[in-house]
Amino acid sequence: MTRMEHIALKGTRDGLILYFDPGVEFSVVLEELTRYLRESTEFLRGASVRCFAGEKGYADEELRALTTLLGEYEVELAGWLKPEEVYAGSVVLNPKESPPWQEEGMAEGPCLFVDRTLRSGHSVQYEGHVVVLGDVNPGAEIVAGGNIVVLGTLRGVAHAGATGDRGASVSAGHLRPTQLRIADRVARAPDEEVEAVGPEIARIKNGQLFVERLTGTMWRSSLR
Amino acid sequence: MGEVIVVTSGKGGVGKTTTTANLGTGLATAGQKVVLVDTDIGLRNLDVVMGLENRIVYDIVDVTSGNCRLRQALIKDKRFENLYLLPAAQTKDKTAVSPEQMKVLSEELRNDFDYAIIDCPAGIEQGFKNAVAGADRAVVVTTPEMSAVRDADRIIGLLEASELSNPRLIINRIRPLMVKHGDMMDMADILDILAIELLGVVPEDESIIVSTNKGEPAVLDRGSKAGEAYRRITRRIRGEQVALMNLDIPDGLMSKFKKLLGLH
Repeated sequence: MTRMEHIALKGTRDGLILYFDPGVEFSVVLEELTRYLRESTEFLRGASVRCFAGEKGYADEELRALTTLLGEYEVELAGWLKPEEVYAGSVVLNPKESPPWQEEGMAEGPCLFVDRTLRSGHSVQYEGHVVVLGDVNPGAEIVAGGNIVVLGTLRGVAHAGATGDRGASVSAGHLRPTQLRIADRVARAPDEEVEAVGPEIARIKNGQLFVERLTGTMWRSSLR
Repeated sequence: MGEVIVVTSGKGGVGKTTTTANLGTGLATAGQKVVLVDTDIGLRNLDVVMGLENRIVYDIVDVTSGNCRLRQALIKDKRFENLYLLPAAQTKDKTAVSPEQMKVLSEELRNDFDYAIIDCPAGIEQGFKNAVAGADRAVVVTTPEMSAVRDADRIIGLLEASELSNPRLIINRIRPLMVKHGDMMDMADILDILAIELLGVVPEDESIIVSTNKGEPAVLDRGSKAGEAYRRITRRIRGEQVALMNLDIPDGLMSKFKKLLGLH
């Protein structure tokens, strides 16, 4: 077996894929492929492969040479893969086999990712869940049909379950909202300063808005 | 090619005009060719703070509407050859100028000057939009009060939306003694909320009121604490690394004595 440095053949559920090193000249790839095909003639006869060379594009005559070479060994070139197909396809999710959202403590639904800090005057309204990778400053508001998660500090107004879902929650790295609403329940910040305690979650329990710490035992018990 | 810097805050009375005057004068002291632009049409102040009120013939509206050329409207400063003021109109309102006209004006200023400092009016309406339209950089001024910080936050959001990202912050009128006693927001509290780069901290200083009334920017006053703060800010604008001013209150005799005895 020859060592293959610049080409690789992999079998996937969608068929055989030939990977070419985009960092080397086409002639190198072609030479290595020729050697490989010669050694594996029987294995590959009649097969159909798709090729992938990253972002690299080959000239027309190079592509023709490739098709000819594969044809000599009765291998069909079924097409080229786009980078997004290769990378997106590297993990195949199969939710049908184990629908996770039907388990305890899991919720499914559309989600809006906000990869920035929401400053005063910003209003985000979304029918699904909202996740903010930043802070929500005083004067900014989030209205979500589902849950709200703020990884930074929530100082503005947050309304989760706005369309009436009393099971929705609002959680934040630092939960210091001006006002917090879940479904039809409203709570405002205590007038006195509260000390920082770390991640907290607010949800409705027995018809009332409760805030509790999102750390330690609570996580462990729900993960068990 | 010069740089157009807008000084803005959202809230009124936090020190935009004072900052503009001191920044501009500070840069002029350093030998830069500077123009100060007052965009607070209808409520002009910058001319008063600079002590140039009585020299106004033409104003910014005359320039943008083509009544005069830019050169004719620029007022040369009393003290510095290389410092100019383009005053606002007093009898018109903010709609007399459009953001497109400001872009054209900024381009012209950029060619003629090292720095153009634009004094933005309070608020977030037309006047604000005019002031930021042609700017390359923004300086946000706030005071250590919740209301001012809240407005500054809103302004930073609007600046980001108008592609003036990475604004820098000046915290004005800080009172070290009140901060020490926990009666005033400190720098960390403010930076925690606003989360932008700090350009400088200016202590509360009575000499500012005197200098504003006299039309002589505090940055020229060697004895003024606020003036020292503005001198440092000027150097930072020019790209130097300068330490923050030491705002600590010197210890009283009693506490020094206690420290000596290890009681503190």
